[in-house]
Amino acid sequence: MKKHYAFLVDSEKCIGCFTCAMACRNYYHQVEGVVWRHVYPLGEAIYPHRERAFFSLACNHCENPACLNVCPVEAYTKREEDGVVVHHQEKCIGCGNCIRSCPYGAPVYNPVEKRAEKCSLCHERLDAGLLPACVQSCPTGALKLVDLATLEPGNHIQFPAGFPKNEKVNPSTRFIMPKVPTLVRR
Amino acid sequence: MSHTPSGLSRRQFLKGLSVAGAASLLPLRLLMPYTAQASTAFSAKDFQTFRNACPRNCYDTCSIKTYVKDGVVQFIEGAQESTFTAGGLCVKGYAYPRRVYSPDRIKYPMVQDGRRTGNWRRVSWDEAMDRIAKKILEIKEKDGSLLGMGLTKYSGNFGITNYGVEGMMSSLGYTTRFVGTPCWPAGIDAQNYDLGDMWCNDPEDMVKARYVIIWGANPAWCSVHSMKYVMEAKRRGAKVVVIDPVFTQTAAKADVFWQPETSSDGALALGMARHILDKGLVDLDFVNNAALGYEEFAAYLRENVTVEWASKVSGIPADQIREVAEEFATADPATIWIGYGMQRHTNGGASVRAIDALVAMTGNVGKEGGGARYGHLRTWGFNYHALIQKQPEGSVGFVGGGGPKGEFDFSKGEAASYTDRTFNINKTAQGILDAKDPVLRMLWVSCKNPFAQDFDRPKLEKAFDSLEMVVTVDQFFNETVANSDIVLPVTTLFEEWTVNVSYWHYWLGINEQAITPMYETKSNIEIASLLSKKMNALAPGSCTFPQDIDTKDWLEKEFNQGIYDYFGIKHWTDLKNGPVKAKLASTASWHDRKFATPSGKYEFRSDICQKNGHEALPKYKEGRKPYDEFRLLTPHTKFGLHSQFINLDWMHEYNKEPYLYMHPDDASEKGIADLDMVRVFNKVGEQRVKVKLTRNVARKSLLIYEAWFGRGNSFNVQNLVDDESADMGAYKTGAPGVAIHDQFANVERV
Repeated sequence: MKKHYAFLVDSEKCIGCFTCAMACRNYYHQVEGVVWRHVYPLGEAIYPHRERAFFSLACNHCENPACLNVCPVEAYTKREEDGVVVHHQEKCIGCGNCIRSCPYGAPVYNPVEKRAEKCSLCHERLDAGLLPACVQSCPTGALKLVDLATLEPGNHIQFPAGFPKNEKVNPSTRFIMPKVPTLVRR
Repeated sequence: MSHTPSGLSRRQFLKGLSVAGAASLLPLRLLMPYTAQASTAFSAKDFQTFRNACPRNCYDTCSIKTYVKDGVVQFIEGAQESTFTAGGLCVKGYAYPRRVYSPDRIKYPMVQDGRRTGNWRRVSWDEAMDRIAKKILEIKEKDGSLLGMGLTKYSGNFGITNYGVEGMMSSLGYTTRFVGTPCWPAGIDAQNYDLGDMWCNDPEDMVKARYVIIWGANPAWCSVHSMKYVMEAKRRGAKVVVIDPVFTQTAAKADVFWQPETSSDGALALGMARHILDKGLVDLDFVNNAALGYEEFAAYLRENVTVEWASKVSGIPADQIREVAEEFATADPATIWIGYGMQRHTNGGASVRAIDALVAMTGNVGKEGGGARYGHLRTWGFNYHALIQKQPEGSVGFVGGGGPKGEFDFSKGEAASYTDRTFNINKTAQGILDAKDPVLRMLWVSCKNPFAQDFDRPKLEKAFDSLEMVVTVDQFFNETVANSDIVLPVTTLFEEWTVNVSYWHYWLGINEQAITPMYETKSNIEIASLLSKKMNALAPGSCTFPQDIDTKDWLEKEFNQGIYDYFGIKHWTDLKNGPVKAKLASTASWHDRKFATPSGKYEFRSDICQKNGHEALPKYKEGRKPYDEFRLLTPHTKFGLHSQFINLDWMHEYNKEPYLYMHPDDASEKGIADLDMVRVFNKVGEQRVKVKLTRNVARKSLLIYEAWFGRGNSFNVQNLVDDESADMGAYKTGAPGVAIHDQFANVERV
């Protein structure tokens, strides 16, 4: 397999602190209402305690990206060298095809630009040998950058409960599920 | 993608802001969104970088690296040099760039025509200072002293030079000071009685612990950088137990979570101690050679404490108490992180002493990876040059007082015939209302937001209404500002020179001025010098504060050889290369077992404690009696630090409104459904808020996170919290703490 960067979301380590989300905003200053990285609390059917386990999610930089496939003006490219899906906003005509097609809601509409935008995996930082802003910011190592080509098999999974199972696009994000402590209540 | 801001033609600069036209007030090309287009690699060479240090009242006190271009803070990150900060900040820290350039920021000195009217008008610094100085002189003329002028300041900005606010007050004369701390005083006193000082292990050595109990602390929200040490200890095989009345985010990361009855911590610790005693698991070397009064403590346990009793008081099953006690006593080393939340009770100090005793009797005090971790001030040995200012000659003050005191009061109060008059900071409203001979006429507020944080907000409003003038120094139009006559705009961390240390970790970071102060903002010490200039122009000799200052010079004046030696640096400018860590002989506090108590030993029996009106032994003290149907807890949110950060539009993206959290069984009894609007009410006041149902909170408990949302949202938990004192705090901080978590209330659907 070729080098393919991906986010490893370790929900066992994740403390839902939103540091990654704000580190992204700190770096890119998205306009109001535009969010590239969300921190979603898991529903109680998946984790039994409300707002105590999370998935930090941005673009999944899919192997077969829906956004890229539906874009009429080739505003999306997938980098040969590392699989990062790049949105070239200067080419975007704001048609909304990608926003409607992505099963994970990664591209979002920028009402100021009147075009789409999404997580870039900080490829300009990758090219400088740096980590993505969100990954660098994580205080517990719960959000990691991995290469799917060299990722050792382990307890990580591709389609955890609560994450839409769309095998066709083959999202690159991998997940480790959270644990529940022994509870001793009065 | 390039870090070059895109042109205005492509991105409407700062468009979409909530305040119409606000963007036009900002200098161009500040904090522009970056284009999402592919281009060249990031290059640090495109930026000037600066060192900053987060000055908020937080365990983590992060070292920041700031990237500036065209005189604008473009983005920030955690300093890589600090193993504690480790390249990352937190959700609050990363919002700083927005804080500097927020359209909501206070830009100029302003005067409000009628409090709470919102009729603010811009005045010049000269006019603002003229009004203030004339009022000060009027008070002196009327009362013959300046005791009618008060200061309330706490931890809104911990940059060391900001103690120049207290310095400014001293430079005017003897004034009235609100002393003490709402934060951690009961625990400080407890640790002083037991150990002779508050001194915790290096948090980075928690990785060595074989057993970790986090007791009434929620580092997953309030010290995110400490969590990696807890997790690493766990990875190496340590068991992690979290004890909290709420199933917190930290609890979710534990092996075992105990949810005891709120404020039953002392009973729980003593029950564990009794079991350790019965099982013969006491560290005899420690209790015989390094401790005082252990036999008396053991006798108290035998006569007054049983595991069954502890179980009954706390609600934790007896077999659980036995199991965890045995595991804790046999793990080596074992540590307890004593949170500030668990001491915000009428029995909080007593509870901390009981937990200290548990750590001590198992021989875990003075051990790397062990310890009763609470906090420390070991790295705070600055000169306090800004703080220590002389009163003008002939100043008249308060007779017979001890002068101001506090955990951060480093002035080493010299004996003087006159002193400042002191009131309890945790009873600000009552202090203002009760002040006589002279009455309090004027209040200066800085580094503090009393309306968001002081207790009994309805009473506070009445108290403020009795003041003739309120001057508030702040960055945003919060509720305290709304109740002020004059507001002075203050700099952010990027706009002044200062230096910061933590009360938890052992790193030291410089705070460089990274940008020119925005608008007409000034630092606290610049404001003091400006006031001094005006005072001396109107009445020569009426203020001793230096009239021309440079914040960089004043930063330098805070350093001394002791600091340099402690941190192993030659000069403060070395810190421009990044933060440095203290050269510690051991990561363990009290590693030589030389305690700072009168006996030089760990004192299970503290005569000072008894002299100060408490029990000599760490005996159980009952908590506050409930006065309403539900216990009310108002702890910290992860999205803010007290009233800071939550109001920013950047934070609003992730945290839009406040909620009450309550148990679904209680809710169904009250006919309340998820996301209903409810009214929480008690003897203090009421607050309307939406409800989320969750078993994270215990039955008969209401949980609301303290916050100031701004943006027209009047939500304020202090409408429900009274000013009942904690048991301890007066010994070391000048006033008792406050029982923030001993509050009760009722709830109904609206």
